[in-house]
Amino acid sequence: MDTKVIEVKELVKEYKQIRAVDGISFDVYEKEIFGLLGPNGSGKSTTINSILSLLKYSSGSIRIFGKEMTPDAYDLKRDIGVIFQEVAVFNELTVYQNIDYFCGLYIKDKKERKRCVEDAIGLVSIGDFRKFYPKQLSGGLLRRLNIACGIAHKPKLIFLDEPTVAVDPQSRNNILEGIKRLRDNGATIVYTTHYMEEVEQICDRIVIMDKGKIIASGTADELKKLAKTEEKIMVELKNADKDLTGDIRSLVHVADASLEGRTLTVSYDGGTHNIARLIDLLREQGVSYYSINSERPTLNDVFLELTGKELRD
Amino acid sequence: MFIHNYLYSLRLMLGNKQLVFWTLAFPLIMAMLFNMAFSNIEKSEKLDPIDIAVVDDSSFRSNMIYTETLETLGKGDDRIFNITYTDAGKAEKMLRDGEITGFVRFEDNEPRITVRSNGINETIMCSVFDEIGSESKLIMNVGMTEIMSLVKSGKTDIDYQSLFKEEAEKIMGDDTGLTDTSPKNMSFVMIEYYSLIAMACMYSGLLSMTLMNYRLANISPVGRRSTISPSKRLSQISGSLTASFTVQLFGLAMLYLLLIFVVRADFGTKLPEIILLSLLGSLAGLTLGVAVAVLVKINENAKLTVLLSVVMAGCFFAGMMGITMKNIIDKNAPFINRINPVAMITDGLYALYYYDSGERYLINVISLAVFSAVMMLISVSGLRRQRYDSL
Repeated sequence: MDTKVIEVKELVKEYKQIRAVDGISFDVYEKEIFGLLGPNGSGKSTTINSILSLLKYSSGSIRIFGKEMTPDAYDLKRDIGVIFQEVAVFNELTVYQNIDYFCGLYIKDKKERKRCVEDAIGLVSIGDFRKFYPKQLSGGLLRRLNIACGIAHKPKLIFLDEPTVAVDPQSRNNILEGIKRLRDNGATIVYTTHYMEEVEQICDRIVIMDKGKIIASGTADELKKLAKTEEKIMVELKNADKDLTGDIRSLVHVADASLEGRTLTVSYDGGTHNIARLIDLLREQGVSYYSINSERPTLNDVFLELTGKELRD
Repeated sequence: MFIHNYLYSLRLMLGNKQLVFWTLAFPLIMAMLFNMAFSNIEKSEKLDPIDIAVVDDSSFRSNMIYTETLETLGKGDDRIFNITYTDAGKAEKMLRDGEITGFVRFEDNEPRITVRSNGINETIMCSVFDEIGSESKLIMNVGMTEIMSLVKSGKTDIDYQSLFKEEAEKIMGDDTGLTDTSPKNMSFVMIEYYSLIAMACMYSGLLSMTLMNYRLANISPVGRRSTISPSKRLSQISGSLTASFTVQLFGLAMLYLLLIFVVRADFGTKLPEIILLSLLGSLAGLTLGVAVAVLVKINENAKLTVLLSVVMAGCFFAGMMGITMKNIIDKNAPFINRINPVAMITDGLYALYYYDSGERYLINVISLAVFSAVMMLISVSGLRRQRYDSL
């Protein structure tokens, strides 16, 4: 896990007067799923396209497998697979032909290629649709085909740029499970998304980007520690006649309390049995409620604290 | 890798219904439409002789120019008139009975035409007699001038009839008329077929442009996927272009088979030269498509519009929508058709068919080869920049 697969140093990409990527540096290690998290327009895709040498970047350096990445670094490209945000397949070819075509750009041997294509079809579970044309597939199946086209040649390094956009929950789970299997089979994965749940679910390490800069990095747990909130309790009140926020703020470990409509939200900076103390207070005050929930902080909370806005703003 | 790209490029083209229609089916449909629309035009240009009557009296017989001219116009397979020589009463009856378009009677040495109604035949009849009248006056003037000069020179034994006949032959005879010295007569339909072949050649640009778009990262997502693969660009592009050329050859073969065996177009004895010109024309079309794909930095649909506009403008300047335009361009702005591949193709075909000129044909063949080389060089220089400013 200590071998560096990607080394990005001081990467800058400017579009006329806009700095889309602003001097970012990070390393990606072998056999990890590396998450690049950030809202739309934060510079994730630009970073990926720069790493892949599709985009001319303004300054900085990019090394993959210890070598400088250039447009004609064919030996490096052989070990890289990319799944783009847009579905990149030919409508004129069937599912099988699409995977075979793209796999054929990497593997000359027909028998080996056939084996790889079948493996990719199995990995994303589209065996029943091999003779279908892309236009005959649902959005989720199309995304799975898109992934199969990018990984059929069994690359050592895989870039997935928002592969689950506009995908149904079943296909999303299928895709995420497939990504974990790829990592378990030895691939290093760079995963960009603006869905924090996905990052939490599959990524070993995460970099959070905003406005072209890295604002935080680490494991999901390390990032969550950046948030002041350790627990958040939400209570749906039967009626909101009485404002209890003042009394609640006096409780131990309470960082903040707010009432919006009939939803009371209480944030804690630590402590144990917080929910029991809150229930006691509500009972003492004679306040009835429908439900009460306790949540651990999410990456969205981290992002909110670091930038003052939601990830999906 | 080349074979892999070649085979899949064929699949991509043949699987694209729009592409198949415009490059393979459309020229065939146009050929059939041209055949249906124009093949009868030339046949119908031959007019049926017009039935007329001439009042055959002393006044008519004394007018040598008219008697001889009408005799000529009323005989042979290509005669203009079926002439009935009769008296005035019968001529009027024939006109009333609808047997003739009109009749002519001579009074004071001038023809008086009587027709039943207005129409094309009546107009033609009047025009022909007007023309004879003009010619007659010319002959009379020239003849009188000749007689005056003979009289002045002291000659007294003048054979007036022979003199006028001699002058008439000079003015109206074959010696002073236009003669056709070309190997074959200009056929309007053949010009259209040549333009169609040129258009079919240039439409090959659609094939190469579509495939090139699949290789360019800044145009399509599949282009991005192809660009990040270890497959070298040269291998991908050469496979695509060879496949485009294969499909184009198939399309051209279909077009020629249709034109020769179904439409019965007459390509003479120079089919190998015509095929060579078509192959070079197709190469020019293919390289033009590549150049538009590489150099024009807009989306796929806009590129298609640009390419079709260039081809259609080329067809227009080369005379596809009317041969007059080609003549106007050749006369006023010859540079346009010297760089216009459509004009190079059509002009090469004209050179073979109408002018029998090897030199002119060769110039067009070389021009097409140079055009293709220039397009390819420009495209390659554009392709060398493999990283993009934006995607």
